[in-house]
Amino acid sequence: MNAIYLYPLWVRIWHWFNALLFVIMLWSGASLHFAGSIGLLDFSTARPIHNIAGILLALSWIAFVIGNLVTSNGRHYRVQWHGFIRRLITQGHYYAVGIFNNEPHPFHPSTEMKLNTLQQTSYLAVMYILMPLLILSGGAFLFSIYLPETLWGLGSVWVVAMAHLTVAYCLVLFIMVHLYIITTGETVTTNLRAMVSGWHREMAQEKTE
Amino acid sequence: MILHASTLRLNRARQLLIMLMMMAFSLAAANEKVPVNHNACLRCHAMPTLAYRDANSNKIINLSIDSLALSHSVHGKLACAECHDGQFDRYPHQFDAQNRPLSCVNCHEEKADAAERHYQFKTIEEEYNQSVHATPDAPELKGFNCHSCHDPHQFRASRIGEPLAKIIHTNNQLCLSCHESARAHHAWLPNQEKHWQAVRCIDCHTPVTENDQTVSHQILKAEASNHDCVNCHSKNSRLLNRLYQYRTATNLEHQGWFNTAVFNDAYVVGMSRSPLLDRLALGVIGLTLLVLIAHGFGRYKAYQRITRNRK
Repeated sequence: MNAIYLYPLWVRIWHWFNALLFVIMLWSGASLHFAGSIGLLDFSTARPIHNIAGILLALSWIAFVIGNLVTSNGRHYRVQWHGFIRRLITQGHYYAVGIFNNEPHPFHPSTEMKLNTLQQTSYLAVMYILMPLLILSGGAFLFSIYLPETLWGLGSVWVVAMAHLTVAYCLVLFIMVHLYIITTGETVTTNLRAMVSGWHREMAQEKTE
Repeated sequence: MILHASTLRLNRARQLLIMLMMMAFSLAAANEKVPVNHNACLRCHAMPTLAYRDANSNKIINLSIDSLALSHSVHGKLACAECHDGQFDRYPHQFDAQNRPLSCVNCHEEKADAAERHYQFKTIEEEYNQSVHATPDAPELKGFNCHSCHDPHQFRASRIGEPLAKIIHTNNQLCLSCHESARAHHAWLPNQEKHWQAVRCIDCHTPVTENDQTVSHQILKAEASNHDCVNCHSKNSRLLNRLYQYRTATNLEHQGWFNTAVFNDAYVVGMSRSPLLDRLALGVIGLTLLVLIAHGFGRYKAYQRITRNRK
């Protein structure tokens, strides 16, 4: 069996804290957005919950950025441009075709690079494009008095609301795909267990070799 | 008879005592906050009960001034005589001095900073002239002027800093003090109480104007006012913007940064709704879910094949 320690404790704590906040944010956010629908939180309950969780999520994001700057975990987010497109296609081809033919995984995580190129690209987009947009638009909601009355000829609060909503929907899509993709490890729970224990264990490699 | 006369004297003495106590109290309050030059007037006018019955209309005319409110008002720094420039230094005041018209617009337009003001008094006048309050032939509006709503002795340009609910309440009370049957006329409004606690009357009863003045002085007729829920709840609405930003300003001033962020009550239900975006996003989410389920099913089939081959 091949076991490598991929997720240091701080990454795991951050990840699960972030996951919890995402659940709270999505639930309370949906309660605000679709207020009055059944099965959702009461509007007045959802409001402070969404605001508090939002502030915590912003702090958590800052912690993530700092963590990646000061620890070696940041190297996983540095794009290797050489062969980038080829690796992207290989990975995409595996998920679209190869996986149904029981082909071996084209990528094996290592301590040097734990993320496959597709994973890396989507995480980069989420953490460094969508999350800042989400935090900025959320913050703009809370302190809308500092916004101009109009942005590009539209009411600025509405522009902010639409940006926040669009990013939120994109992140819902990310969460769905993320939850599904983690089941595509060697076994359904390989990746999940790695994020709990920190150790990524692969059996097949040993068998095939 | 004798008994009756003594009771009358006793009552008068009691009245005098109460009056003196009130004067002393009012003076103490006046000395604390109001600049010295108001004192001559406030000696009498700070008495809460100072009033007379108008011989013609038979109405009680209130002459008392809340000295604390005056000191906080925009006019608090002016000497009384700057507006009341008749012969008010003598008592009793000369009859002709009492009826001098006091025009807000004239005075404010003469000021050096008139052009730089956030509120242009010329615009206010133009808007007011189109307002229901300026309807010339309505008998109940006889004598209606700026002061009917804006007490010049208490007026503050902005009440930001007070609790939002209080600002809205004060604002709406002003309208409701005359419009006594307003409650019955708003029976159509869902969650009427909640609306009245959260929205000012003028937010719906004034048009959204293109000038930068926050609220128009053109109060609309009931039928011309906003009845459309969608104007506030959702969409790109300047009405909503106005309310939203006002609320945030109030929250910030009153509660500070952190509390504003956490207990922000500026969000209006439905303001982030966009039917197009919602449908599009929910469609894409549904489609993604289907693809993922189909993908999972394909993997399961592949897994079955591999286990079958092993056997």
